[in-house]
Formats: sequence, structure tokens, C-alpha cells
Amino acid sequence: MSTFVPGLVHTPITPFTPELKIDFGLFEKVIEFHLRNGAEALALPMHAGESVSLSDAEQRTLLELAVNQVKGRVPVIAHVSDSGTAIAAARARHAEQAGAAAIVATTPYYWTPPPAMVLEHFVQIGAAVSIPYFVHYAPDEMGGTKLGTDTVLKLIERLGNFAGVVDSSLDWQFMINIVSSAWRVRPDFQLLSGTEYMVSAGAVGATSLFSSLCGVAPQLVRELYDICRTEKYQDARRAQEDLAALRQIVKRAGAGGLKGAMRAMGRACGEPRPPLQPLGAGGYKTLAAELGALAALRAEPRGW
Amino acid sequence: MPLVLKGVMQSPVTPLKEDFSPDLATFEKLLDFHVRTGATAISWPHHKGESLNLTIAERKAFAEVAVKVVAGRIPVSIHVSALAVEDSMELARHAQETGADAIIAITPYFWNPSIEGIYDYFVRLGTSIDLPLIAYNSPSYLSGLEFTGELTRRLIERLPNFIGMKEASFNSEKFLEISRVALALRPDFAMIAGVEFLAPCVPLGGAGSYSSAGAICPNLCIQLYDACVAGESSRARELQFKLARLWDLFRDQYPSSLKGGMVVMGRPVGPTRPPLPTATKERQAYIGAQLEELGIAQTEPHGW
Repeated sequence: MSTFVPGLVHTPITPFTPELKIDFGLFEKVIEFHLRNGAEALALPMHAGESVSLSDAEQRTLLELAVNQVKGRVPVIAHVSDSGTAIAAARARHAEQAGAAAIVATTPYYWTPPPAMVLEHFVQIGAAVSIPYFVHYAPDEMGGTKLGTDTVLKLIERLGNFAGVVDSSLDWQFMINIVSSAWRVRPDFQLLSGTEYMVSAGAVGATSLFSSLCGVAPQLVRELYDICRTEKYQDARRAQEDLAALRQIVKRAGAGGLKGAMRAMGRACGEPRPPLQPLGAGGYKTLAAELGALAALRAEPRGW
Repeated sequence: MPLVLKGVMQSPVTPLKEDFSPDLATFEKLLDFHVRTGATAISWPHHKGESLNLTIAERKAFAEVAVKVVAGRIPVSIHVSALAVEDSMELARHAQETGADAIIAITPYFWNPSIEGIYDYFVRLGTSIDLPLIAYNSPSYLSGLEFTGELTRRLIERLPNFIGMKEASFNSEKFLEISRVALALRPDFAMIAGVEFLAPCVPLGGAGSYSSAGAICPNLCIQLYDACVAGESSRARELQFKLARLWDLFRDQYPSSLKGGMVVMGRPVGPTRPPLPTATKERQAYIGAQLEELGIAQTEPHGW
């Protein structure tokens, strides 16, 4: 399989109307914003896009719309995670038919299967398609189900299209173990940074970046990514610290933080769907004030 | 008082005789070995030095030897953490009387104190002496108890002698939360990786590491640090992968595996006190084979 390196991957939010329907008109704007602001690929709907709050039909529709809207300008990676292996595999098949360039999947929601079944889950999803397949590892979000080096090596053995691991564990030993072991058997295996903590991930081998904050600060994310790709990691320290500061501000604001931050940048896109709580007036005021005080955001685009 | 810590610092193991009694003569040889092979500082007794399995009287005796043998060639820090805070206070006083250059302390054991409790502890400890203080952050070993950026800021503002942090989360987000706050307030603040995870942290302003494998392969540790500082990313990655394999080898039954490896390298330091196991002959042979395969046995000093 020819190597698909996603590069700087933007992971857009999913906008909702006040009635909590997907706002398809606004979604087109969201996509165009990302394409104009440095996305080399899109991945959707990731957790930043509230995938888990979308029905299967909505996830499929959203992907079809995105592929149709993007019209080949950048690759679209489909996020297909689910609790049930067969459900995720069916979504993966649909993604390939809809024109996705690759798929990405996490460990299953809710269940904490033994390692052999985690492997089986990933194998069945990957085997459902012939496009490149990335595994997203986010143990903090996923109830602590572990992904071990053994599982990754077995996946490499069983799936020709298993292209890499998107890491959101931020765990140095995990990243090093995965990538150094995988490279011995599949030299084009990829480590992808699942968040904007790219410096440490890049230093140990990550070459692509999944970013949700590029909806807020696309230039800063681009700067960080570009420096990291030159492997001059020491030069990336300021951009990395700025993005860490931004990430903490958004995180402190809670579930509605990302959409609140986009609103503060002139890109209102509604509130999150329940059970996530909207930011509320007080929360938004605090968030907007903190973002306003962040010098690193001054050069970022406002509005769509 | 300007004590600036950087580079590959060594935290020696604690040599014991076959009857588990302190082996101060071998400790002298070990300290000298570290100084001769390029250590930029000595810090004893970390958990690797079986701190919690030594009596307070034993810890004082070893500390006196450390200061005497190193004799000002490089700085000596004394780890004062004990189960009882009153013992930590006593060890800190003793470190100062003995002529140590700094003390180091982890967040208190067992009680899971609140952030205010941790703050009060470090203020009490730091103001009780006229020595620089290094804090030690190890969330995974202390039920998630950890330094936040905010706690670090408060302590830096309160304690002029708070000069560094042994950071052992090995996690990008956690490292940056402390480093970006600390380095902005105190540019010489030493962010020291708990073991040799240097490639992920030197670009972020990391000052160096407390070595895990330094008694086995001091050359490799220093080569990694030099590559990181020089921004030689590919070389740093390659060396980091090797040291990460060593960490996996040694962290299993740490530090007994390390002591087992030292036998292989011709620097026997005796058994490990219960409840930690002592590396069996079979375990030593396994470690020996791994060191051979990694090229350590061939490229690093053998014997004292």
C-alpha cells in the first residue's frame, strides 16, 4: 500500500442549530474555513466533532457532505469508532464507499475487553476496508483500555492497511515503544500526534498532527507543525507553550470550551449537544477574557 | 547560592552487603565511578536508592559519605522524603549540616494530601533550611498526586530557594504545565526528567535528567543528552529508543534489575532489600543478554 501521510489534520467541530440539529449550512462554512487556514487533511467527526453524540445515520451523512464539499482538495479521514465491532466495521465500509481517504478508530466505548478482543475489534474494523487505517489511542477518554506494543505488532502482522497510531496518551514511553517496535517490522509505520503537544511526540517520531484547536488558532498550529516538520524542536518551544496555554484555557472551560473559543474568535457554531453542558454566559465571559489576554492569538483570523 | 543543574545527573543505587547491611565502601567506589564517567551532579537516595527501605540513621550515614567522597567536584543533593514528614525535616537539617548542596523531596506519601497540604509541606521544608530545594513530581507512583502549574507558581513565588523539579510524569501535557510556568518565572529553573527521557523534554527547556541507567551505560546517557542539546534530532531519537528499551528492562522490579545489570557490568552492589526482590542469577543472565544485544556490554565501561 502506498504511504498516505496525513500531515496537518484539522478535526472540525460539528455545528448544531438551537434545536440541536446538525447545521449543515454552517458545516460547509466550517469546512471552508479549515481548508483556507492550513488543513492538509480533515478528520471527522472526531470527539471534537462530538461523534459520540451523533447517530450512525448522522455520522454517515456528515461524512458524505464533507467529501462532497471538499471535492478532493484535501483527503478526508473518517472517524468510525463505536462500542460494537460490527457497527464500527460497517461504518468503516460506508466511509470507504463515500470516498474517505482513510479511517481512524479508537478502542471500543464503554467495554473494557481483554487484549485479545481489543485486537479482534481493531482487526475487524481494519479488514472491512482497503484504505489506510489509523488507530487512535486516547486512554484518558476511553476508560483506560490499554493499547500495548504486542497488539500493535499483531495488527501490523494481520493488516496490510494498518498505517499508524494517533497518540493522545501523551505518554513518552508508550510512543517510543510503539514506534520503535513498529519501525522494525514496518518502516513506514506512522506515529501521529493526536493533540497539539507535537514537540515531544515529534522528537520521538511523530510526523502528522491531529488538531482541534486549529478551529481557534490555525496560524499558531500551522507554525508549530511547520517547525516540528523541520525537526528543529527547540525552535518550536514558544509556539508549543502558547498552544499548551490555549489548550488549558479551553479545557478549563469544560465541554463547551472549544465551541466557546470559536465563538470568541467570531466563529459562533452553536452549543454542544446534551449531555454536554453549554458554556453559559458566565463561563463564556471568563473564557473570552482569558483568550483576549493571550497575546499569541492576536494574529489569528477572526470570523469565517 | 546559585546552583544550576543540567546535563546527566546520577542518583546512585545503595550498595548493600549480602546480609543487607550498608556497604559504604562500595558506595564510595560507586560515587567515584559516577564522577569519573561524567555525572554533572549526584542526588541520593532516590527510590532507585531504596530510600524508603533505609533507616533514618542509615540515610544520614550514606549522605555523609556522599558529600565527603564527591568532595565538591560536582553538586550533591540529598533526597529527604520519608514516610513521616518530621523525618523529612530532620533529614533536611542533616543534609545542610553535612554540607550537601541541595535537597530534593517528593509530595508526601500515603495520605494523598490536598494541594494546600502539599503547598504547606514544601513551604515548611523549604524555609527550614538555607539550601536550594528541588521538588519531585511522580503522579503515577503516588495515586495521581501531582504538581500543577499553579502550585509550582505559588511555590516559586514563595520560595527563593525552589530551583528545580524532578519531573517523572513522562507526559507532554503534565511536563509543559509545570515547565512553561516555572521557566517564565525563573528562567534557570531546572526541569529534570526523572529518567533519561531527554529527547521529548530538552526542546521544551528540560535541563537534563536524573539517570536511571547511568551506572550501566554512562556513555550512552551523555551521548543522548549531547545530541538533544545540539538539536541532532535523528541521532537523539535513535539513542532515546535504545535508552527506552533499557528503561523497560530495568523498571521491571526497579531497582533490583538495575543492581542485577551492575553485576553484569562488573560493578556488583549487592542485593535489594525486601519487600523488593533481588535479581536472580537467571534474571542477571537475561539482562546480560539484553545488554549484549543492545551493544552496551561492548561500548560501556566494565568494572569500577
